[in-house]
Amino acid sequence: MLNDAVTVFREDAEDAVRIVSGMLRRGEGGEAFRERRRAIAWSATEAGLQSPAIVEESGTAVRVTRGKDSLLVACDGDGPEALRAVVREASRRAGGSPFFKTKAAPPRRVDTGPSGPDEEGRATLIASALARALPDPRGLSMTLAIARVTVSRAVVTARGLVPCGEATRLEVTGVLRRTGATRSFAFQSSAPFASACDALARALAEATRPVPAHRAPEGRVDVVLSPEAASVFWHEAVGHPLEAEGGERTSVLTRVARASVAPPGYFVTSDPTRRELPGSYLADDEGTPARPVPLLEDGRVAGVLTDRRTAGAETNGHGRCGDFRRPPRPRLSALTVSGGRASRDELLDACGGGLYVREISAGHIDPESGRFSLFVESADLVRRGRLSAAVAPFVLTSDVLTALRNLWGEAGEVSAPASGLGLCVKRGEPLPVGGASPAILLRGLSAVPGRP
Amino acid sequence: MTAPADTLFEEVLAAASASAHDGEGGEVYERRGAALELVEDEHSLHASVSTERGFAVRLFRSGRTSFAASGAASARSLPAEARLLLSRSRSRRGARPAPAVAGAAPPEFLAPPVRPDEVAARGLLVAFRRALAAASDGAVLLGEAALTLGARTERVATTGGRDVSFGSASATLVATVSARTGAGRASARVVAAAARPEELGLARLAHHAVDRVLLPLKGRPLDPGRWDLLLDPLVAASIVARLAPAFFGEEEDGFLAARTRDGRDALAAPALTLVDDASAPGGPARTTHDAEGTLQGRTVVLERGRLATRLTDVAAAQRLGTGATGNAFRRAFSEPPAIGVTNFFADPSSGVPPLDLLRSLARGFYAAVLLSRPQVDLAADRFRLHAAGYWVEKGRATEAVSETLLSGRLSELLRGIEAVGDDLKFIPAAGGGAGSPTLFVPKWKG
Repeated sequence: MLNDAVTVFREDAEDAVRIVSGMLRRGEGGEAFRERRRAIAWSATEAGLQSPAIVEESGTAVRVTRGKDSLLVACDGDGPEALRAVVREASRRAGGSPFFKTKAAPPRRVDTGPSGPDEEGRATLIASALARALPDPRGLSMTLAIARVTVSRAVVTARGLVPCGEATRLEVTGVLRRTGATRSFAFQSSAPFASACDALARALAEATRPVPAHRAPEGRVDVVLSPEAASVFWHEAVGHPLEAEGGERTSVLTRVARASVAPPGYFVTSDPTRRELPGSYLADDEGTPARPVPLLEDGRVAGVLTDRRTAGAETNGHGRCGDFRRPPRPRLSALTVSGGRASRDELLDACGGGLYVREISAGHIDPESGRFSLFVESADLVRRGRLSAAVAPFVLTSDVLTALRNLWGEAGEVSAPASGLGLCVKRGEPLPVGGASPAILLRGLSAVPGRP
Repeated sequence: MTAPADTLFEEVLAAASASAHDGEGGEVYERRGAALELVEDEHSLHASVSTERGFAVRLFRSGRTSFAASGAASARSLPAEARLLLSRSRSRRGARPAPAVAGAAPPEFLAPPVRPDEVAARGLLVAFRRALAAASDGAVLLGEAALTLGARTERVATTGGRDVSFGSASATLVATVSARTGAGRASARVVAAAARPEELGLARLAHHAVDRVLLPLKGRPLDPGRWDLLLDPLVAASIVARLAPAFFGEEEDGFLAARTRDGRDALAAPALTLVDDASAPGGPARTTHDAEGTLQGRTVVLERGRLATRLTDVAAAQRLGTGATGNAFRRAFSEPPAIGVTNFFADPSSGVPPLDLLRSLARGFYAAVLLSRPQVDLAADRFRLHAAGYWVEKGRATEAVSETLLSGRLSELLRGIEAVGDDLKFIPAAGGGAGSPTLFVPKWKG
């Protein structure tokens, strides 16, 4: 069973460590990486669940670094033979020949089938969530891919085997169509399966509401972001610019290290140890133990997210890869933001006239210039400090430094997890990320009507 | 790693065929792949080499389907896993194993793909760095360039008698570039994809990269108005890419039905013909068979502005009562096939040189690059492009435009296309490519 995947990785750990240790020559660093991914997936339409699928992939990679250059060799399989094959190829490319003096590896356990009563029950829970979300699907057409994905990873260094952890999440992506509008839908949750299905039902019901005819105001606007929407803002505006990449001065926030960019009282942390949030892990994909890294402390830029390539031994454990075939890069995990003291009504009151954003479906940032765009799917007008009519989708833009400078000094009381923050795609490489933030008030963003 | 003549595929196929006498059909798919990626930045070079061998099984019974996929180690158990899932599937018309391909001899075994040439790959990176320096006079910096060369061989066999194998290759270059001027800073990622490394078009990508980061830093913003509009091929291709799903046989055809009054009206101007062609010169895809083993060819979906046909896989063709067009697509061996494009493009065969189109602009905007993801909503019949380019008067570029928003009804844009260029270019899109020549839309109000 997959729950034992890390145990399986341990079965030949002693040999694996010896092989990795023997592969590395003087002046070289490196490790082996093992991954197993299993998904039970369903296609779904407005008529309910359609076709089931089961997928299991496993892979092994070795990574070798010498000076600033590095090599990764990967193949399928997560057993001893796969490890030998990649080490053989890595050594061949380095002009050496590996020495495999190992004990006989124990026979690998063969996984049993997926279709037990548990899966029957899970399918029923998903079907029930869809039925609750769409009690009357007339006029709606949708194509969803729903998957329960479990990923297990471990790193083998020259010293030992480091489990990165095992994460299970419910992932849903797809397209919803109503007369006159199409929208994409993304959802993920690491909560227990029944709770995740309840959250899915709520998110889907919200996403399938008819699109309001009322257009959002155009131009400069003050915006209250709900906790879920605020998580996407922090992810784009603070998280990505503080992923260490290509030198210290290439992003709008790394150029102002230690500077005060937001009002005092804002603490933003990339915290992979928050197990209840997607994007958490025990150790990163280079075997460095996970730890919280402050990015903003009391409104000041406090740190950057690093891996071994960017920080060597000083890495703070944010080297992550999309799968075993890809090299680790500094990437966000779960971004948490400290709560403040303002209630939602106080935030709306301070906003006066503007918008209350419930859902942001996607975002984009150019870290160099700091320009960002947030694609808003669901929002209400705010008039005289009260919620008013719902408005049609629109895009919010600004630049990071201006937006943080115009952040209202008091955040909402409750820092809530964001279920809509799904896979973060950077350089075409998707990774699960999470977030938890209070509601916030941002002044002076630019609103452009229209759907992404 | 495995001997080429192993019998694993035959064993899986035999297991998938075990219940054929009960009316169950099966399909077995194998993919072998090899990939090389070189990532170069200012300070370092990273090389990744990977191989894969994966299997997938689909079972069919009375319109129900199930799917199971894994690497070679667990492949033997896939038919049993899929069989357990089959009873939970919902029945859908048209789902069945693909029939035999006429004249195709069963392959003896699936040969592993040829490994990509690393020396040639390093040469391409050097050539791109030089091309960028030459195109920008050093004003644009290359942050990172990632070149990926891939090759794969595939085999599909069904209980309906199909058994074919085929191979393909791909090359992708992704570059992160940046520029700093007195007006500010900008960075961007640009991408080129081709079926062969030598077809990547490095000089063209370098010029595109320079425009992408320098244009937003110079010139002035342009307010919406009514003027002639010229769309660069790479800008126009992004719209063509978003049109493709409307022609998938699987999709609801609300957009096409609503915009053409169930086919009685034209969808676009006569200048526009849309084609899917797996062997189109310059296209990122170059394949002979689709992911279900159907032979591919040229499919015209929109002929001189009028709906001609749909892109189909075996099941959609069965539902529509037509032949399959060879548009089943698997992003990975671990995903069930779905309808997709190969090289989907606006046909340039009636086009004129782009300079002739430029000369015909009395007063208008040449959209050279997109500054953000294009927004095209088929259901709402709306589009919006955030673009930079040049203001043109009497056929001459007079001023750089740092940004402008082009938006409006998609159907009006399509019906307003008066002429196309002969300069077809492609962008990567949904596993294949989308392409367009320069498009000329006179008196566009956006």
